[in-house]
Amino acid sequence: MSKSLTTEHVTLILGDGASEVTALDDVCFEIDAGEMVAVLGPSGAGKSSLLAVCGGLRTPTSGRISIDGVDINQASGSERTKIRRERIGFVFQQSNLVPSLTSVDQLLLLVHLRGRRPGATDRERAMRLLDEVGIADKANRRPGELSGGERQRVGIARAFMSEPKILLVDEPTSMLDRNRGRQIVELLARECHEHSVATLMVTHDHSILDLADRVLEISDGRLAEATTIDTAVNA
Amino acid sequence: MFIAIRDLTYARGRFLLMGIVVSLVSFLVIMLSGLSAGLVKANISGLMALPATHIAFEYTDHPGYRNTMVERYMWEGWVGQAGVKRVEPMGHTVFNARSAADQPLEIALWGLMPDSIIEPMVTRGEQLGELENGVIISGGLADEGIEVGDMITLDRVLTELVVVGIMEEVRTIGHVPIIYAPLRKWQEATYGPPGGPPPGESLPDIVFDFVSVIMLQLEEGTAIEALDDQNETLTLDRLKFYSASTGYDAEVQSVQLIQWLLFVISAVVIGAFFSIWTIQRTNEIGLVKALGASNGYLVRDSLSQAFFLVGAGTLVGMGLAIWLGIAAEGSEMPFMLETSTLITAMAALMVAGMIGAGMSVNRITSIDPIIALGRVQ
Repeated sequence: MSKSLTTEHVTLILGDGASEVTALDDVCFEIDAGEMVAVLGPSGAGKSSLLAVCGGLRTPTSGRISIDGVDINQASGSERTKIRRERIGFVFQQSNLVPSLTSVDQLLLLVHLRGRRPGATDRERAMRLLDEVGIADKANRRPGELSGGERQRVGIARAFMSEPKILLVDEPTSMLDRNRGRQIVELLARECHEHSVATLMVTHDHSILDLADRVLEISDGRLAEATTIDTAVNA
Repeated sequence: MFIAIRDLTYARGRFLLMGIVVSLVSFLVIMLSGLSAGLVKANISGLMALPATHIAFEYTDHPGYRNTMVERYMWEGWVGQAGVKRVEPMGHTVFNARSAADQPLEIALWGLMPDSIIEPMVTRGEQLGELENGVIISGGLADEGIEVGDMITLDRVLTELVVVGIMEEVRTIGHVPIIYAPLRKWQEATYGPPGGPPPGESLPDIVFDFVSVIMLQLEEGTAIEALDDQNETLTLDRLKFYSASTGYDAEVQSVQLIQWLLFVISAVVIGAFFSIWTIQRTNEIGLVKALGASNGYLVRDSLSQAFFLVGAGTLVGMGLAIWLGIAAEGSEMPFMLETSTLITAMAALMVAGMIGAGMSVNRITSIDPIIALGRVQ
């Protein structure tokens, strides 16, 4: 079985001259379909850079990234946009919803982005996803009328709407209290296994690491298998 | 339009405010168009009604109706030339006058040949010809209460004119209402001595050899310059002979300047609105890009929103202007609306608005989707 997300010797250097910073340093890893990998690290360690290059938002200085067998470094700007639209699901920090759209429209927007007018089947699918994350009753509310946890759930449902190959999750618990944060990651893990999507979750929250299938640690742009997982969980 | 439509209802307060601004600008543009057309009509309706393709003036660098004198040989020189269908010498003099009720009037006396095609059809009374001092008055004067059979006396020269016919339509030149008179009477009044010829005598023949301009009907391709050279005249086509009316160019230009300013203002206001609106939506646009929206998708979305806003605003303002314009049409205010002016004004406003909205396109395309990750890279 092929790997859903593969990075080979990915290096990202930001800035130039004196202010040059190596954000990612020779990063290599693979994620299988249906596997949830957590990347742990303090702020400034390169977590966001990792998401940015995997999501095609930044081109690495060197190295190769492939999503479901497609090399995104070779792709042009508009092809990368298409790859994001069709193969990548994002769950952002603070949920990041469009303020004018209701929960169900947040999901249907992805259908529209693909150039299709959302139909009855799309609506059914969106409602089923909202039901899976437990907020079907808030389908017609706008983000301003939802709590932080509810917004995060809409964000998760949206990420699965376009049937992505990989899911990139950015600090899903940062805006939530401990209990709600844990519930959200449990939900993510369940959805990731159910929809068989390779999931890369960056976080600095040790308390949710036990929910991941595998934990990697990043510091100063270098990625390594976590060896101190037990201590981390107990911390 | 997926997001655009939902934004319109979500941020309806902001869009309503902006819509009102667009409506007011559109209202002003239409009112000014009507006013400008009305002013033109009030200034030169007499010239507009002329069945002429051209008017020949005495040769000069600055043609005007008040300072032109055309001699008999000049108009006779035009008669019978190739492409010349009709030649009519015509007199124009502005007089102060008094009505029978001793009301002061400012009038333009036009002298016409017998059976002239310039002579308007009266709506009351008779055509010219019966009385040697019988005249036809036009709408503006009829509104002053002057009736068929009334006497009008020209100041200084003391020529007495009798109203034989009235045409209801307003006919003016330089905002002055026109009185149509027989050419000989006009020549007497303009070139004769005050009070007319002494009793028992007639005016010298030379008085009847002068008019102001020559009204011409020319075919396409007539050798105008050669005929002008030959006859010492200066021939102007319709647009240019309107401009020869005092104040016409200045009036039209000042109203047009205001209109242009309004188009620029609407472009800038709409541009500013969409720039700020785009800045407010920076995070949202970055997010939607990260989700896989192309620049084209977002630009189309934004421009369709602008099109809706500008279109709806323009229509509302236009409706308001037409409604008020209809009310104003019967009043003293010179106001005239034509479908072509309306469509032109609306199109120009839409174009100006879309140019304004287009100014934020660059802002949309330059947003980096990485901002969706929430941290500065």
